Amino acid sequence: MKLPFFRYFVRQALANIVDNRLVHLVGVGTMAIAFLIFDAFILIFVNIDYWTVERGRSLTMSIYFKEAPERIVLEGIKKELLHFPGVTIKRFISQPDAMESLRRQLGDKAGLLDGLEENPLPASLEIILSRDKSEDSLPYRLKTRLERIDIVDEVQYSQEWIKRLQAIMEAIKLIGIVFGGLLFLAALFIIINTIKLTIYFRKDEIEILKLVGASNRFVKIPFLIEGSIQGFLGGSAALIILFLVYIILITRVDLRVGFVSLDIIFLSPQFILSLLLLSIVIGLIGSSISLGRFFRI
Amino acid sequence: MLCQQKALVPFKMIQLFRVYKNFGSKNSALIDVSLTVERGEFVFITGPSGAGKTTLLKIIFCAEKPTSGHALVNGRNLTRIKERELAFLRRTIGVVFQDFKLLPRRTVFENVALTMEIMGFPFSVIRKKVHQTLRYLDLANKEGYYPPQLSGGEQQRVAIARAIINNPLILLADEPTGNLDPDSTMEIMALLKEIHIRGATVIVATHSQELLKDTRRRVVTLNKGRIV
Repeated sequence: MKLPFFRYFVRQALANIVDNRLVHLVGVGTMAIAFLIFDAFILIFVNIDYWTVERGRSLTMSIYFKEAPERIVLEGIKKELLHFPGVTIKRFISQPDAMESLRRQLGDKAGLLDGLEENPLPASLEIILSRDKSEDSLPYRLKTRLERIDIVDEVQYSQEWIKRLQAIMEAIKLIGIVFGGLLFLAALFIIINTIKLTIYFRKDEIEILKLVGASNRFVKIPFLIEGSIQGFLGGSAALIILFLVYIILITRVDLRVGFVSLDIIFLSPQFILSLLLLSIVIGLIGSSISLGRFFRI
Repeated sequence: MLCQQKALVPFKMIQLFRVYKNFGSKNSALIDVSLTVERGEFVFITGPSGAGKTTLLKIIFCAEKPTSGHALVNGRNLTRIKERELAFLRRTIGVVFQDFKLLPRRTVFENVALTMEIMGFPFSVIRKKVHQTLRYLDLANKEGYYPPQLSGGEQQRVAIARAIINNPLILLADEPTGNLDPDSTMEIMALLKEIHIRGATVIVATHSQELLKDTRRRVVTLNKGRIV
């Protein structure tokens, strides 16, 4: 594209936006809401994915003992466990350690524990199974084997809730596709109508441009740029609002599953870029649809 | 200076062959119109309101397509022309309207520069040519004004400036003096004649008998869509 053309197109697009600022403001605002809901879905999805991947990469198994194991018994169990590939011993938690840890987690409410006459918490051994090195069936096989040992009361591992989380994620994915599709259509509809309005306002100008020899492309390009700018502004506004909500969320809300505190992450730069690109593309598609309708005349 | 100087060998600039134009089934704007305009001719199209003068001009600059028949402009058949070719053809035709059709939110300079912007000329060239054209039309001191700030005669001169800046082969004027007082009318007609002398083929549609009085130009009269 020749430089004078490019300058003309951008100047025209910006002039269109300024001339019809109210229409554009309403359009950008409505689009920002549509994109915000869409982006929020993506953020939830990204976080659940992050949690399941992070937690699923290594699995923690807790072996609870009926009574405090003797040192030699404990060492024997540890030695046996280390024979399995991907198993590392994380730590042994004695009954006093378990109580101390619970007190820490309860914080202000730790006083509740003062009334206890004896420590009801069992001693436990925490091991980590690396999912990369171990077979899928290993946690179950280990659990069965360990529970056969007299001194072992119960074996628990974190796979159960990961599985549940993964099922939730599948559902969110499905809802996301349906809902995202609807929001995509809504954003498209908004763009189509905003650009249609600006085209209508500039009908006389388009007629004059065509009379003096402007090609359809020449007339259309500023409107396409206008649609893209609108999409970009709507997309950016949505991301800024989402980021502010995220900041409030991480400073005010402590998200926990059981005693595990979950980190909330924001969208990666690649994701942000992709969402911005998507909003520009929606703007472009929307304006070209409304132009197509107009130029069919 | 302002219009393309072509060797004046006889050449049919505009040819209409049995052109019909209907709007709906009952409204025939043009009926069996055949007309030839040579290069460098000055032709008046006249007739009462609703005779088909504007439709005839619209067919020549391709704002309308004939319902049947053929129209050739500068050797190009308008019934078969593609969108891109059409844009290029229109760049060789200047059009002036009774209601001026200027962009009210653009200055005189911007309105006149429009045609050259479309063609992608660098701004330095556009600026030079616009100044030259505005000087020629005695509008040099008005380039920063917006059309609503100008008189009717001045607005029509801006419209003429926009039409001729590109050195068109053909200049079409649809009731160019319809909204003007007698002094401005004389001024505009003198300008159109000057543009014709410089080499353009000029067609003026008018219902004003005053303009045709004592003219030695060819006059084509339309009545109810037919040439009479």
